[in-house]
Amino acid sequence: MTDITPNNSHNIPSGTVPDFIPPHRTEKQIKQRLKKRYRKERIFKAVGLGGLISGLLALTVMVTSILTTGLSGFTESRLTIDVYMDPEIIGSLEGYSTEDRIDHLRQVNHRALIRNSLRIKFPEVKSRRDIFALQKLVSSGSRDEVRQKLMKSDDVIGTTIPMDLLASSTVDMYLKGQISRDVDQSERKISDKQLAWLDIMASEGRIIKGFNWKFLSSGDSREPELAGIWGAAMGSFLTLLVTLAIAFPIGVSSALYLEEFAPRNKWTDLIEININNLAAVPSIIFGLLGLAIFLNVFNMPRSAPLVGGMTLALMTLPTIIISARAAIRAVPPSIRDAAIGMGASKIQTQFHHVLPLSMPGIMTGTIIGMAQALGETAPLLMIGMVAFIVDVPEGVMDAATALPVQIFLWADSPERGFMEKTSAAIIVLLIFLVLMNSLAIWMRHKFEKRW
Amino acid sequence: MDKAAVTTVQDLVQPTIRATNVNIYYDDTHAIKDVNLDIPPKAVTALIGPSGCGKSTFLRSINRMNDTIPSCRMTGQITLYGDDIYDKKIDVVQLRARVGMVFQKPNPFPKSIYDNVAYGPRIHGLANSDADLDNIVFNSLQKSGLWDEVKDRLDTPGTALSGGQRQRLCIARTIAINPEVILMDEPCSALDPIATAIIEELITELKERFTIVIVTHSMQQAARVSQKTAFFHLGKILEFGDTSEIFTNPKVEKTKDYITGRYG
Ligand SMILES: Nc1ncnc2c1ncn2[C@@H]1O[C@H](COP(=O)(O)OP(=O)(O)OP(=O)(O)O)[C@@H](O)[C@H]1O
Ligand SMILES: [Mg+2]
Repeated sequence: MTDITPNNSHNIPSGTVPDFIPPHRTEKQIKQRLKKRYRKERIFKAVGLGGLISGLLALTVMVTSILTTGLSGFTESRLTIDVYMDPEIIGSLEGYSTEDRIDHLRQVNHRALIRNSLRIKFPEVKSRRDIFALQKLVSSGSRDEVRQKLMKSDDVIGTTIPMDLLASSTVDMYLKGQISRDVDQSERKISDKQLAWLDIMASEGRIIKGFNWKFLSSGDSREPELAGIWGAAMGSFLTLLVTLAIAFPIGVSSALYLEEFAPRNKWTDLIEININNLAAVPSIIFGLLGLAIFLNVFNMPRSAPLVGGMTLALMTLPTIIISARAAIRAVPPSIRDAAIGMGASKIQTQFHHVLPLSMPGIMTGTIIGMAQALGETAPLLMIGMVAFIVDVPEGVMDAATALPVQIFLWADSPERGFMEKTSAAIIVLLIFLVLMNSLAIWMRHKFEKRW
Repeated sequence: MDKAAVTTVQDLVQPTIRATNVNIYYDDTHAIKDVNLDIPPKAVTALIGPSGCGKSTFLRSINRMNDTIPSCRMTGQITLYGDDIYDKKIDVVQLRARVGMVFQKPNPFPKSIYDNVAYGPRIHGLANSDADLDNIVFNSLQKSGLWDEVKDRLDTPGTALSGGQRQRLCIARTIAINPEVILMDEPCSALDPIATAIIEELITELKERFTIVIVTHSMQQAARVSQKTAFFHLGKILEFGDTSEIFTNPKVEKTKDYITGRYG
């Protein structure tokens, strides 16, 4: 805390220390020692290099496996089908007001429209079972696509329009080569008949592949081809927002208090030790704490980002406090002396000088803490952010999941189509984590101060 | 008219700073022992003595910088124009506005040159308008002899100046709050001879308006700039008097040894 350093410690009176003369060694002895030293060095280098290489290898294997399974999750398949907007199925719109018309068009049996169009395309299909199988080629989500078309303008009634309808997950997987047609029909989810129909469509150029925007823009779904991560991403975002809003101010002010104001005694020592220990507590314990306190005592809503954020804030606090203290301690004492010497009060010294100078370090620590919180699953499971939620959350009180929890849910799903979605979601999560960590590194470099 | 610019009757009858029976301890280290010292107004008083004898400790007790060191305790009395500065009624922030300090290592804030000088007036509310503040900054930089060198780059960081310029910036920053006393702890020890000469000249000019106490390890510097010299040894003042007297005719053997370089 001061720039006074006792510098008379080197005043050793000369002559009191006897000169130490090392014994002579023969050239052979010296050479042997050198050889031993070089050998040790070589071994150490080899071990270090080996460790590095195996680490890199593991990383490459992980990234490639995720990329190979996950990248296909970003594409989707569509089937071009001439949809006949059958007036008989749609029904008469005579005498309806505009609002009633739209309402009516929303409730039309769109499923039947698609079924009929498929039957027109494949007139030879007669049995109920086959018709059902035929219909299974397109996703149940294609109904919404037809509905939207119809609601946009009722001019289309009575006409036939070619539409690119979303293929079902099974078809999509087959087209991506994840289902082999070489095995027996009973061992795959797609029947020989369905394959034949698909072959016909393919020969007519009716199979289209495209980027799966829904994956980025919609919420979860029971159907793999309709499922998206936007809901989980919003859940994560809202959760992190709460975490930041709670952990940052509390963490920074605790750090400031401990570093600059707290007296040094056994109580502050105890607090310091406990903060360090808290950073090492398994995250699921924080989940239990959140469950016991926020849900059971305070009766807060389950599955809400508010509670998730509060729980993760408990977990992130030690990280933020520790890094903020390090950043505050790194501000040179001469700056404090200068401010205090100018007559600045303690608070002014902190807020005018110490905090602004340590802010880059604090921000770096905070971002790393947030990245940790973003990847955290266990505490969120404990407070119920693990439910199947279709709606994209709009506020911190809405039920939501988070990205890692979504990954966990999809990985757990028996539906094979979710496999590539799992990996695709991991890719998205990794991108966010890499971005956050790069931001932290960038900030550290950018704002590194020389005094 | 500011009070530092004129010599009042008060200045003539009493010293600016009077230390009576001052003892300072760091835990068990007894750093200052029974020091009595009168520091005259509008003059430079040099504190000399071997390393570790307590010069800095004593200097820092004059603006209560030692308060920031938890282990540091003090007994005795230090008065500034008759006010006991360790009195409970004294606000330490106000005290430091009256007793400014320049440190051994030039320590400008990592802010612009302008903001460095304007910082003190801002926190003490010395300027009523932006024009006022500009004026204070201009005057302070002028008085510290830095104006011509920095007038075109007031927005560049103070940390980007040379060592000597930085130290003068620190002096400008201190005189911007118009203190009564300026304490300097080895202000030239990190500077080259030319920068040192400039600062010494500056100190000589400043003593017309301010009471200056300077710690120095350079006998020549003490002889050149100061009117009074106190020789510290192991926490005690062994000799105090006119600088000319001490350097030509020291009464104590230890002082003689020290200033002739035979000891220390
Ligand atoms: N913060 C501190 N904590 C404990 N002891 C200290 C502290 N600062 C100084 N001391 C001790 O007080 C005594 C006087 O130190 P001080 O810094 O005042 O000496 P000085 O005369 O300024 O020396 P120098 O010329 O080397 O700067 C020394 O024995 C030193 O060890
Ligand atoms: Mg010193």
